[in-house]
Amino acid sequence: MSLIPGLVRAELRKLFTTRLWWIMLIVTLLLVGMYLGFFMAFAGVSQDGGAMPELDTPQWTEIAWATGASTGIFVMILGVVMMTSEYRYQTITGTFLVTPRRGLVIVAKLLAGLIVGALFALAVLVFEAVTVIPAVTLAGGEFSPSASRVPQISLGIVATLTLYAVFGIGLGALVRNQIGGIVAAVVWSYVIEGIFTGIPALHGVGKWLPAGAAQALMSIDLDTGLGRPEWLPAWAGALVLVGYGLVFAAVAAATTVRRDIT
Amino acid sequence: MAAIEIKNLVKSFGPVKAVDGVSFSVEAGSVTGYLGPNGAGKTTTLRSLLGLVTPDSGEALVNGRRYVALPRPVTEVGAVLEATNFHPGRTARNHLRVLCTAAGLPGSRADEALEQVGLADAADKRVLGFSLGMRQRLALASALLGRPRVYILDEPANGLDPAGIEWLRGFLRHLAHVEGAAVLVSSHVLAEVEQTVDNVVIIAKGRLVRQGSLAELTSNGERVIRVRSAQAADLAPALETAGGMVERVEDGLLRVRGLDAETIGRVALDRRIVVTEVTQERSDLQTVFLELTEGR
Ligand SMILES: Nc1ncnc2c1ncn2[C@@H]1O[C@H](COP(=O)(O)OP(=O)(O)OP(=O)(O)O)[C@@H](O)[C@H]1O
Ligand SMILES: [Mg+2]
Repeated sequence: MSLIPGLVRAELRKLFTTRLWWIMLIVTLLLVGMYLGFFMAFAGVSQDGGAMPELDTPQWTEIAWATGASTGIFVMILGVVMMTSEYRYQTITGTFLVTPRRGLVIVAKLLAGLIVGALFALAVLVFEAVTVIPAVTLAGGEFSPSASRVPQISLGIVATLTLYAVFGIGLGALVRNQIGGIVAAVVWSYVIEGIFTGIPALHGVGKWLPAGAAQALMSIDLDTGLGRPEWLPAWAGALVLVGYGLVFAAVAAATTVRRDIT
Repeated sequence: MAAIEIKNLVKSFGPVKAVDGVSFSVEAGSVTGYLGPNGAGKTTTLRSLLGLVTPDSGEALVNGRRYVALPRPVTEVGAVLEATNFHPGRTARNHLRVLCTAAGLPGSRADEALEQVGLADAADKRVLGFSLGMRQRLALASALLGRPRVYILDEPANGLDPAGIEWLRGFLRHLAHVEGAAVLVSSHVLAEVEQTVDNVVIIAKGRLVRQGSLAELTSNGERVIRVRSAQAADLAPALETAGGMVERVEDGLLRVRGLDAETIGRVALDRRIVVTEVTQERSDLQTVFLELTEGR
């Protein structure tokens, strides 16, 4: 067990000595920026019964702040790559030569994934702070963390991003093919989760998916014009997310520990 | 206790018996060549030894233990497996530093190992731009990080140019004969290792064909004696009468089997024939290798 800190540092070093992490970070912040720009442009506009609140209201900040959680896909892809690039470039051989107890390698990767997810969440939160606060202030509003539930939503963003990194690592261990893993991650988050959490009639299923659980954790109930969503209570959302994390971690371990590396 | 010990190792991939009851051992201070044609089962044996492949039965031990049971494996065993085990976007130094961090070794070992294999100048280059030979050297550097006493190398000469192969030979001999390490090196090209190894283990289709010291194996072949004489045409029938099998190679040169040099000399003396050369052809291990592996 005393090996774990060194192994986690090795995993982080693997990630930070290649380029992908900062490309993903830029894409993540661009997406958040895009959403925020969109919300600023449509502040106060109503359509089909749903309405975007005015820029100077606490509700606007609440909705804007929650966009950070929609970037889970990028840390998930990073997680997929953390695992699959070992197979793609056969570095897994060297990894297991140094640490033949493969379970330890998986634990280290998962912990590194949690750290990377947390760092991305931190970057997203800082980015949101430096864009949302001035925007609200300039519009004549007052940025009130408590009225806009910023702490709870921030917690939801951290939980989502850290656990999506774990999902990615588990998925990567299962699929092992890099392109296959990335495609699966995109299809999962944009198609499957997108449909089941986007269409209120399907929320019965969607609330049990990671994206639905993340929404529950943040208690966001924006009416997009399609009707009010029915999420789980926040505590149940947290449990569902952690449950998925454990399942994916178990998948990563089970698919890696015994397999012949040839 | 032998540094490397393989006992009745068996490993199948589906219907293919990749390794079928192989046993041999490697002692400290010696280089053992593990030879066999493509698909013989060399890589499978070495990967079993390194805990990457789980054997169906039998044992593969390093320093008396299974690889996975070694507390700090890189300090006991250095391994080079078949090429391209690198992320192309990572520099040589960073590749080694990742391994150092995971192994709990100081990062300075990365630079020392690069120096040792002659890659110090390329330390900060991405592996993407490396030639095959540079990759092989980098692989060797990763094996050196923990200063192990046992080396397991799978076709390390692949991709090296003649100068690189010469360098590798010297390096392996130095590790074994000066530093006292046990070295197991596989190859499907005998000539690559012939000048390096002390012992040879030959495998074909998963089965052990022959093992022994280089000297034993080379003297096992049938003796052939080359005889040169201006009167070869007269000498040949005389040697045949004496019980030899004579092959006429060219004008004035014979290859004789079944007689030793002394008998040949006497036959020539009796006939008053001048002989300008009598040499025993060294049975080239290459021929032994081909015979042994093709006969199977
Ligand atoms: N992962 C695998 N799945 C199926 N068959 C395999 C696998 N790995 C090896 N084999 C088979 O096992 C046999 C031995 O292969 P191995 O790679 O050990 O031979 P080798 O002696 O290293 O050959 P080479 O000189 O070509 O490297 C071959 O028939 C090969 O096709
Ligand atoms: Mg091989």
